[in-house]
Order: sequence, then C-alpha cells, then structure tokens
Amino acid sequence: MKLLVCIKQVPDLESRFKPNAGGTWFDEADLAFRMNEYDEYAVEQAVQLREQLGDSAELTVLSIGPDRVVEAIKKALAMGADKAVHVQDQAVADKDPWQIASVIAAHARGQNYDLIFTGMQSQDRGSAQVGVALAEQLGIACTTTIVGFACEGGSITVKRELEGGLKGVVRLKTPALVTCQLGLNTPRYPTLPNIMKAKKKEIAAIPVTELLQEGALADTVSFHPPAKKGGGVVLEGEVGALVDQVIGILKEKTAVLR
Amino acid sequence: MSYTTELTDYMGFQGLLSDEEKLVRETGRKFVNDEVLPIIEEHAQKETFPTHLIRKMGELGFYGPNLPEKYGCAGLSNVAYGLLMYELERGDSGLRSFASVQGSLVMYPIYAYGSDSQKDFWLPKLATGEKIGCFGLTEPDFGSNPSGMRTTAVREAGGKWRINGTKMWITNGSVADVAVVWARTEEGIRGFLVEKGTPGFSAPQMHGKWSLRASVTSELIFEDVIVDEEKSLLPNVTGLKGPLGCLTQARYGIAWGVLGAADICYQTALEYALSRIQFDKPIASYQLQQKKLAEMVTEITKGQLLVMQLGRLKDQGTYTPAQVSMAKMNNVNVAINICRTARTILGANGIMGEYPIMRHANNLEAVYTYEGTHDMHLLIIGEKITGIAAYR
Ligand SMILES: Cc1cc2nc3c(=O)[nH]c(=O)nc-3n(C[C@H](O)[C@H](O)[C@H](O)COP(=O)(O)OP(=O)(O)OC[C@H]3O[C@@H](n4cnc5c(N)ncnc54)[C@H](O)[C@@H]3O)c2cc1C
Repeated sequence: MKLLVCIKQVPDLESRFKPNAGGTWFDEADLAFRMNEYDEYAVEQAVQLREQLGDSAELTVLSIGPDRVVEAIKKALAMGADKAVHVQDQAVADKDPWQIASVIAAHARGQNYDLIFTGMQSQDRGSAQVGVALAEQLGIACTTTIVGFACEGGSITVKRELEGGLKGVVRLKTPALVTCQLGLNTPRYPTLPNIMKAKKKEIAAIPVTELLQEGALADTVSFHPPAKKGGGVVLEGEVGALVDQVIGILKEKTAVLR
Repeated sequence: MSYTTELTDYMGFQGLLSDEEKLVRETGRKFVNDEVLPIIEEHAQKETFPTHLIRKMGELGFYGPNLPEKYGCAGLSNVAYGLLMYELERGDSGLRSFASVQGSLVMYPIYAYGSDSQKDFWLPKLATGEKIGCFGLTEPDFGSNPSGMRTTAVREAGGKWRINGTKMWITNGSVADVAVVWARTEEGIRGFLVEKGTPGFSAPQMHGKWSLRASVTSELIFEDVIVDEEKSLLPNVTGLKGPLGCLTQARYGIAWGVLGAADICYQTALEYALSRIQFDKPIASYQLQQKKLAEMVTEITKGQLLVMQLGRLKDQGTYTPAQVSMAKMNNVNVAINICRTARTILGANGIMGEYPIMRHANNLEAVYTYEGTHDMHLLIIGEKITGIAAYR
C-alpha cells in the first residue's frame, strides 16, 4: 500500500501576528514555525497504519513551502515516515487552497497512492479545503474530520464526529483521502534517536513551478486584527436600580431574557 | 504556570541551529509541558522524585544522548544535548540533575574509561532507564578538594578489590542500580562500578533539603565491599582526571540547563507584570519593573550565546575545561539572580507553589554549589588567566 501524508508548517499560534506589507497575510519575521497540529494527527495515523502493514507499505510525507518547512518534514520522518517530497515554494501563502491542492495532485497523479492523509485544516489559514479539493482533483473518495480509523483487508472504516455529539461511521474504497481531526489519536514524540536516524531518509526536492498548472479561484483581499472593541458600560447607583438596568439591557440586547 | 512552546530568544540564536537540534528541543519542551509541569510542584513539596518519568525519558532517548547509536543512544550534537538540558531544567533542576548524572556522570565514564564488556553491558540499559546510576566523588570532609578523598580500594587476591569509605551528597544514590565510585588506590584515584545489593554497600537517603527537593540525594557507605576487578574497575583511567573529565561533561549540561530555569521564571514574571494592575496600570509600565525585565532578558541572551559558542567548540573537540567553568559559573549565577528578581516582580504570589519561581530559585542554590562551586570556577578562570592556582 502506498501512503501519502500532506503536512503544512504554520507559525506558533502564541506568536503576536502583524499584517504584512500588502495587508493580505501575516508578516513572517520573528515567527517560530512548527507542524500544523491537525497534520500531526494525520502523520500519527499514517505511521500507525505503516507499522500495521509492515514493509508492504511505504509512507511518503509531502510539504509545500520555503526551506524552513524541511524541519516539519524531518519531524514527520522522525515520527516514522519513510521518505519525503519537499515542493519548494517561496510564495506558498499567495496560493489559494485550490492551487495548493493542484500542486499536490500533480505530484500524486503519477504515484498511485492508495491512501492520503491530511489535517482537517491548517491552524493559520483554516480553510479546511485542501484535502477535499485534492480528493476532487484526483477523483478519489474522501471523508473529512475523522476521529477514528481502521484498515482491514484493504477497506477503510472511519469514524466522524457530528454535531451534538453524534458519531458517524463511513466505509471507504481505496484510493481515498481522509482529513484528520483532534481526538483521532495522540501524536507520538519524535524520539532523539529517531530524529537522528531520519537524517538518512530521502527528501526529494521539486520546484513548485514543475507542478503548478492551476490559477487561483479565490484571492485573500485583506488580513487584519479585529477592530478594537469600545469600552464596556459601567452602571452606577443603588442596587435595586442597578438590577432593573441590567434586566433592561439583557432584554434589549440579548436573547437571555424575553 | 507558563506552558509556552517557545523559549526566549532575543538575539535569534535559534537561527544557528540545525533542524535536528530544533526538533530535539521541541521534543524536550513538549515532554516537560505534558509530563513535568503538571506534577513537579507536588513532588517538590513532598520531597519525592517523579520515578514514573524515568522510563519515559529513557524511551525518548534523554540519557547520554550525545553518545553513539551503537549503545542505543542518539548521537546528538553537543548543542542539541545542551538544548535538551535547557528544556528539562525549565521543568525542574532535579529532573535535569537526574539526566545529567545518568548521562554525563555514569554513562560517560563507562563509555570513556570502561572495558568493551562494561560498555556493552551497561550503556544500553542505562540509555533506556532500565538501570539507574549515580556518581560518588564527594565525601563528608572533601568537597571542593576531592584529591584528599579517604575512600580506599585495595587489591585483593583472585582479581578482587576491597572498598572502604563514605561518600556524601550523591544524587540518585538510593535509587541507583550501579554507583560509579572514585577511590584512592596505590596507583592513584581509580573508578569502580559497584552494584546495588553488593554486601557491605548501603545508600541511605538524606532528607530535609530546601533545594532540589524533587531529586534524591544520598550517602554511599562502603564497609569492606568486595568487587570483581573485571566487572567493576574502570580500566582506562587513573588519577583525578577521571572524575574531572566527567564533571566537565556535566558542567557543560548545567551551563545550558540553568538558562531553562531562568527562562521560565523570566517568562512568568513578564506575563505577570503585564497583567498585574497597581495604581491603575500594569506594573510592567513602571520603569523599575522594566529595568528588572530588561536586565533579565539581557542576561538570558548573553548566557545563550555563551553556551552556543561553547557547544560548537565542544562539537569541534576544541573546548577546554576552563571555558566550561566560565559558562557554568556565569550561567548559574545569572539564573539564580533572575529567579530571585522574578520573585520580587510577583510580590506575594512569588512565594507560592502555584508559580514555579521559588522552587527554581531554591533549586539553583544547590546547582550554584555542586559540580564545582561558583568560587572554585572563579579560581579556575583565575588560574587560567594568571597562571597562578589560588585555591591551593
Ligand atoms: C543537592 C546536591 C547534589 C550533589 N550531588 C553530587 C553527586 O551526585 N556526586 C558527588 O560526588 N557530589 C555531589 N554533590 C556534592 C557537591 O559537588 C559538593 O557539595 C561541592 O563540590 C562543594 O563541596 P562542599 O559542599 O564540601 O563545600 P566545600 O568544598 O567545603 O566549600 C565550602 C565553601 O568554601 C569555598 N571554598 C572551598 N575551597 C576553597 C578555596 N580553595 N578557595 C576559596 N574558597 C574555597 C567554596 O567555594 C564554598 O563556598 C552534590 C551536592 C548537592 C548539594
């Protein structure tokens, strides 16, 4: 079985973000980058399957971006992926999800992957579209936001979490793609010996220009922090009157009281 | 408590790191956030070591990680090893001490001075944490001056040695499966591996510390302990350079580690200063508190650059023990001062176990003294620059 896991490197979410000069994305200076959290669930699930299948399976990890994304790739290799593809792209943030999916699709078409794992969404852009669009472009089955996964006899069964705590179970024929959600598993730590052993694994570098054929379907018009909220309302006076005022405000501005 | 994923990096020293070094640090940080910070305060209060973490740290490869893969170790660069110590000590100096002793004071001497069969037997087991080690050099009457030690080992018939004496202040002593013990012999000071349970050998724990409370400290008592030369004697070193060579390794790790303790105290104080309102403004807006914070971040940054350079020299094999002395001395000193200053910024909250500060400040009292006191390192630097040894 040929497995692919697609990962993105995103800024540390604790960072202080500033818009870039064009005002369409964040300024990358001074940010620390790491593997997108949802992609860690994807890598973990892919590695577990790789271990279950043994040497009859091969797991490739793919990431698009500048040189810094190699660190995230190496983390996936240290977690247990066999080899990697680094699609070199200095301007990855300028591409919309459709284009990103098309780049991966252009690589995947020649490879005949049986199963592709992606994160449910990225922590920075949060479109949740790349996995779905990739499945669409490859014309393969797709299930999103999985929280359970099993593979037996070539058939894949996944669990999904629905609104209101309901669960859904979906069976898929391969080739297929799944997008992974929090709760699917607990990603393993890359151990120190495995970090060092990963140095010997192959990372193929492909310039994005060799894979990009699609134009963007959507443009980010603006990126900005939320407008500062005005100060709160301070009520003053005697307690009974204050209570009446609060009830009045709650009735007028909220649905708490009718 | 501060569960951040990023360390303080004012000068961007992480730009000097390889991907592997960054990933090692990330594993260390995540481990400390997930497994150490939630439980360490209670262990320190109760004066217990979190023994359940011993095997976990072994599985992650935290013991002797700069030793070769052949023995189940990771073969890290010395900078990566230092970053790991930084992250562990951000959790607690007791935890870092455990890893320092296991890696630098037990695995290192076996690796550097042991026979092939000693290496093959012990290193893989110590690397996983299946076996725990301790290092016995200090004695009740000989601390800074170990060359005066009274513990003796005498050659007996039939390839045996007889050890007598007492060691004190020995980290991991009571929990160790094997002690690396330094003893005076006719040939000079020699190292011996003494296994737990050997008749005449006991290791009572010392209680009542106000520092490194989440670390086991013990006496080692040897009363006519008979050991087998082949299994026990470290064949490839004689003289004080044996134990001193180990101390250089451990001191290197300490120089990195203490910055982790300083960093969490600085970050805690910064966060606190920004959110604590007095006289209608965050206390971070007053110049006095800014001065403290600015000096803290400056000292952390200088300390990082110092160990970064030292680490690269160590990777090239060109560093000297006197350079390690400077890094240990300086960084422990700045770390303890940062913790104390952080304590003042938190006011009354600074003394509470809810914040990590007082625990770190107290821990660093022991770190200031062990592995060569601050004074001794000053005198080593003094000797290096003047050519005159002022400690004799
Ligand atoms: C928690 C803890 C864990 C430890 N773990 C270990 C361990 O695992 N293994 C081990 O072998 N040891 C261990 N030690 C012992 C430690 O290394 C010694 O405490 C240290 O070397 C200092 O020795 P001392 O305490 O006897 O102080 P002393 O040597 O008596 O020093 C007392 C004071 O005198 C000063 N002084 C001494 N000589 C001179 C001089 N010539 N000139 C000027 N000033 C001088 C010192 O700087 C210090 O201020 C540990 C200690 C502690 C506290």
